[in-house]
Amino acid sequence: MIAALNGAVDDISKAMKLHRVWIALAHEDIGDQHRRTTLGPLWLLVNYVAFVGTFVFVFQPAGKDAAGYAAYVAIGLLVWFYLMEVMSMSVSLFQREESFIEGTTLPLFVYVMRLALQSAIRAGYAIAGCVVILLLSGPAVTSSWLWSGAGLLLILLVTPAMITVFAFLGAFFPDSQFIVGNLLRVGMFFTPVFWVYNGQGGVQEYAYHWNPFTYFLEIVRLPIMDGELPVHAFTVTIIISLATWAMALLLLGRYRKQVIFII
Amino acid sequence: MVSIKLDNVSLVYKLHEKLTLSAPDRRVAGPGGRIEGSGRKQFVQALDGVSFELKAGDRLGLVGPNGAGKTTLLKVLYGIYEPSAGTVAIEGKVDALFNINIGFRREATGRRNIVLRGLISGWTEAEIEEKMEDIIAFSELGDFIDLPFKAYSQGMAARLAFSAATALDPEILLMDEWIGAGDASFQDKAKRRMDELAEKAGIIVLASHSEALIQSVCTKKMTLRSGRIESFTTEPRTRAGKPASSNPFSGIG
Ligand SMILES: Nc1ncnc2c1ncn2[C@@H]1O[C@H](COP(=O)(O)OP(=O)(O)O)[C@@H](O)[C@H]1O
Ligand SMILES: [Mg+2]
Repeated sequence: MIAALNGAVDDISKAMKLHRVWIALAHEDIGDQHRRTTLGPLWLLVNYVAFVGTFVFVFQPAGKDAAGYAAYVAIGLLVWFYLMEVMSMSVSLFQREESFIEGTTLPLFVYVMRLALQSAIRAGYAIAGCVVILLLSGPAVTSSWLWSGAGLLLILLVTPAMITVFAFLGAFFPDSQFIVGNLLRVGMFFTPVFWVYNGQGGVQEYAYHWNPFTYFLEIVRLPIMDGELPVHAFTVTIIISLATWAMALLLLGRYRKQVIFII
Repeated sequence: MVSIKLDNVSLVYKLHEKLTLSAPDRRVAGPGGRIEGSGRKQFVQALDGVSFELKAGDRLGLVGPNGAGKTTLLKVLYGIYEPSAGTVAIEGKVDALFNINIGFRREATGRRNIVLRGLISGWTEAEIEEKMEDIIAFSELGDFIDLPFKAYSQGMAARLAFSAATALDPEILLMDEWIGAGDASFQDKAKRRMDELAEKAGIIVLASHSEALIQSVCTKKMTLRSGRIESFTTEPRTRAGKPASSNPFSGIG
């Protein structure tokens, strides 16, 4: 246990010393994905705005609920797309990095940070779109928006741990790549991304309270929608984040030298 | 002091370690390491009780049939694989050339790739900046250095890889078989650089099927077979004035 922790800390601190490597590689990745396109990474923004527009157009409720719905969906999709991209990219992370893992002695956490940074940059374009939608669609700008910022920061901080856990899962249990992919596709309907929970019963009640992603969404959404700090959602998210980090450190410490033998 | 010391090192590749929902497939036996076990618990003994010592100035040639364990041994020396048993003690800064394409991005230019490769090897930006022109000059890639890596031939890629890997004077240089990819004039240059490196009291370990290359570069020769050391000899160098062939790198690749 202690040895595992030491190993994990060693891997992480080596990776932090090599921060130039993952910063450079993450930028290369973004560049490669959009090479020879006219809009470049602005496509990420277009893609996000198109999604929000579609959901608002199709699902906007009539009457008094209509006003905040654009903001509701904009934040919901921002966080959901980010989490979905991180998880679906993570399960195949070590397989994708196979040639680097087999040819260099870079610590595994370098690949984790490379993906974390890449996802953060991509999310940056969606955040720009989200802010514009929020300003246009009307919720009053208050100081509690800062809590939303804190929520985003918390999500960024747990991202490397999430990537680590899912990357080990995908490496040791290859079927999970397909299972996770399918679950994520279905998961959107079981998460309050575009539907609103107003205390109704049935499936939505369970999906709201027992889905960990609900809380990740709500720490960013509630401060802006309700204008106050959602203590419960923050508490749950912090507990989930700490548990994820503990698991990530354990996996990294115990299994990082085995990864090369199984990918 | 630069040195390598291996004591009773073994390495086992376990197959079917992964948890999977599908039925285990049947592996077909081939040459190389011993395949043991069956069903879910198959494994290949790639290295078996390997012990040897190298000190500053040694140039070791690794020979042996396909699957003898040469690449595995080099990767253990580099630190990519942790041995299943035994100990590895290495003093000195190690650089390695396994596969030409490793660490190179197809879309990036040669120049950008040198930067990336340098960062990966732990160089600082200042060191990269300082060595950049040397690396480009040594590789003789000329204007191609500003074209994407995907526009390079294998030989050009080999030039770039070799130039970059040897630019920062690694104390220990590990090379796998592919080093024959460059043309004759580049191979002469490469050989001279390896000589310089060894004269600076570095260690070179080179895996090759070419007897001529081993004889012209190496001072020691180790033959592996099925993961065991079959022989370890000190070679009288034939290179001075009497090269074993005019192009020691021919016949590899
Ligand atoms: N990733 C791997 N998984 C399982 N077996 C491997 C792997 N890599 C090499 N082997 C086995 O280990 C033995 C030694 O391989 P290698 O070191 O590549 O030999 P050489 O470089 O001398 O041709 C061979 O029997 C090979 O089949
Ligand atoms: Mg080999």
